[in-house]
Amino acid sequence: MGRTGIRRAVVVLLVLAGVLVLASVAGAAFGAVPITAQQVVDAIVAALRGQRLTPSQALVVQLRLPRVALAALVGACLAAAGTLYQALFRNALADPYILGVSSGAGLGAALAFVFGGTGVLALIAPPLAAFVGALLTILLVAALATRRGVMETLSLLLAGVAVSYTLAALTSFVLVVRREQMSRIVFWMMGGLQGATWDQVAVVAVMLVAGLAVPLVFARELNIMLLGDERAGELGVNVERVKRVILAAASLVVSAAVSVSGLIGFVGLMTPHAARLVLGPDHRLLLPASVLSGAIVMVLADLVARVILAPVELPVGIVTALAGGPVFVWLLVRARRGPSL
Amino acid sequence: MSATLRFERASVGYDSPVVSGVTLEVRPGELVGLIGPNGAGKTTLLRAVTGGARIFSGTVTVSERPVAAYPRRELARLVAVLPQATPSMFAFSARQFVEMGRHTHVSRFGDLSAADHAAVERALALTDTESLAGRRVDELSGGDLQRLTLAQALAQGPSVLLLDEPTSHLDLNHRLQVLDVVRSLTNEGLAVLAVFHDLDMAARYSDRLAVVVGGGLAEQGTPGEVLTRGSLRRVFGVAAVIGTDPVTGSVQVLPVVRAGDGALAANGPRVLVISGSGSGASLMRLLTLEGLRVSAGALSLEDTDGAVASALEASFPEIGPFAELSAADEATVTRLARDADAIAVVASPFGPHNLGNLRALVAADAAGKTLLVGALTPELDFSHGDAAEIWESLGRAGARLCASPRDAVRAIEEVLHR
Repeated sequence: MGRTGIRRAVVVLLVLAGVLVLASVAGAAFGAVPITAQQVVDAIVAALRGQRLTPSQALVVQLRLPRVALAALVGACLAAAGTLYQALFRNALADPYILGVSSGAGLGAALAFVFGGTGVLALIAPPLAAFVGALLTILLVAALATRRGVMETLSLLLAGVAVSYTLAALTSFVLVVRREQMSRIVFWMMGGLQGATWDQVAVVAVMLVAGLAVPLVFARELNIMLLGDERAGELGVNVERVKRVILAAASLVVSAAVSVSGLIGFVGLMTPHAARLVLGPDHRLLLPASVLSGAIVMVLADLVARVILAPVELPVGIVTALAGGPVFVWLLVRARRGPSL
Repeated sequence: MSATLRFERASVGYDSPVVSGVTLEVRPGELVGLIGPNGAGKTTLLRAVTGGARIFSGTVTVSERPVAAYPRRELARLVAVLPQATPSMFAFSARQFVEMGRHTHVSRFGDLSAADHAAVERALALTDTESLAGRRVDELSGGDLQRLTLAQALAQGPSVLLLDEPTSHLDLNHRLQVLDVVRSLTNEGLAVLAVFHDLDMAARYSDRLAVVVGGGLAEQGTPGEVLTRGSLRRVFGVAAVIGTDPVTGSVQVLPVVRAGDGALAANGPRVLVISGSGSGASLMRLLTLEGLRVSAGALSLEDTDGAVASALEASFPEIGPFAELSAADEATVTRLARDADAIAVVASPFGPHNLGNLRALVAADAAGKTLLVGALTPELDFSHGDAAEIWESLGRAGARLCASPRDAVRAIEEVLHR
């Protein structure tokens, strides 16, 4: 990246961060009880100073803010995973939902919910089980989609859909067997952020940081791997190692998102794609920009989910699917004329 | 730094060996060309060096160390590849694309150093792609992309360069430019192994050529040793005239006909072609394509007609340049005329030295199966009218007149089916 490139990257990321702050304040302000932006800021300041909170400030700090923060983190995780999968599979249509990874993580998390313990274990077990499910799923899908070392777009999508269905069926099976937990888990699976807690925020934040740090270090390799595995190897990239590391990182962030918010589709698809169209394919900028964009999209989607039928709340997954489905179709049609990464 | 690339009884391939028992050495400063038919395994040999193909037995070494023993990063500093061009779909700028060649020189947390930028600039300059640097890679033509990919490879700062059809997408100017650059880099100690389909380019730029055919390395040597009529016939199944490039003095290959599919028939009707100074070459080629066996009057190999007749394995008496036909040569032509099922006399420059070819026809008394192709104008007659006299007498005795070689082929078909 030249000097102008770095300046541009800094500007882009600062703007996105600013937008995220504004969206978050809006997210905390809107709701069944309307609160002004000023009150949101006051509540945060009061909480940071350890002051005694008024009822409306408590609402902001204990209910609205963790939810907004979790939404932002979940969006960031999904966008990060989408960016990484798209780079790894050289396919603009790859995203954790379509590849079936979300379903795999979902099955893992559902098993942990059903059989998991209490206390810290109840907090940690779902993301861990989700991580195992996500990793196994992406390895299976990649293996199914590869013929003689070549991974076709169509095979990848079909394998993802097939695996996804199977895993969803298994998840339903688990639910039916443990009927008493069913409604809670079904609501979780549909993609909701209700009942977000600061504990969840902490867990997801840690997983996101861990899952992002490694790929950022490998950003240059990710760029080169867009030229194809063999060419990347010729240019000195240890392709197999990068793949393993990136798959693990992507699975980690997906499982973080899925374990707290269930199956939320298309954020991981649309956000990196839009960011790439605007900013280009250099992952040193693309990855952080996608992450911030994903956070913004998710905060706004959750806002819409809460206010559009208020006081009834929609699962946020429905909002992202309604917005993202048509985009996916548009990409699919465009891809026939040759997609650009 | 310089390095030698060596294949030692190497068998390489994918699920099973494609090429076996290859022993080949490329030393610093050398450009070795790989030639051979499609699918023979030339690319596989290149890919075995960088890990794209498996080495089943034997060794492939760079600087005496097996390539598999190198860490990826270290190998990429020694060996660079220009693969066959693949369309690129990535919106990187051409400069970013070339900078990727510096990957192994940049530390994990650093950015390109001044030396890296200098190497990129040099690679862009060498490949004449500076003007493309700001363009998007996915919007470039195949030729531009091929030169940029070479720039990317050169930016690696390699000691060994592998080129897979380096000029396949390039226009004539850039073909010469790219190979001139590669050749000049060998003077700095670069070792180059290049796959060529263009035999003239291979001959012009290679120190040595190695022929890959039938699952192994058939022969290697200087272009002059390797590019012979026999080897082209064996390896490519093509009858060709091997000449000398008048400008560079390198070997030049002029394919005449494919040797398969009935061409160069071992039996079948015979046609004798009397010509000279290149006037009969196209007719001989057309007749061969029709599956007819061609023989010719006495010719010199310096004459295009002689070179083509020789490539087509026509029987004819060979004479020295501008030498006069001996009585024996004349008798041979007479015999060829008697044996022939049809005879074509092509209007050519006739003088005292080759008038014997026409006299031989008179002796054979074969006007009935003879065609006169074209018009023997006075400008062609250097024999004070002797040639014109024989030409006209053949016409009076029943020889048919044809305007062009294609008409002649048609007329000959009629003569043969009579």
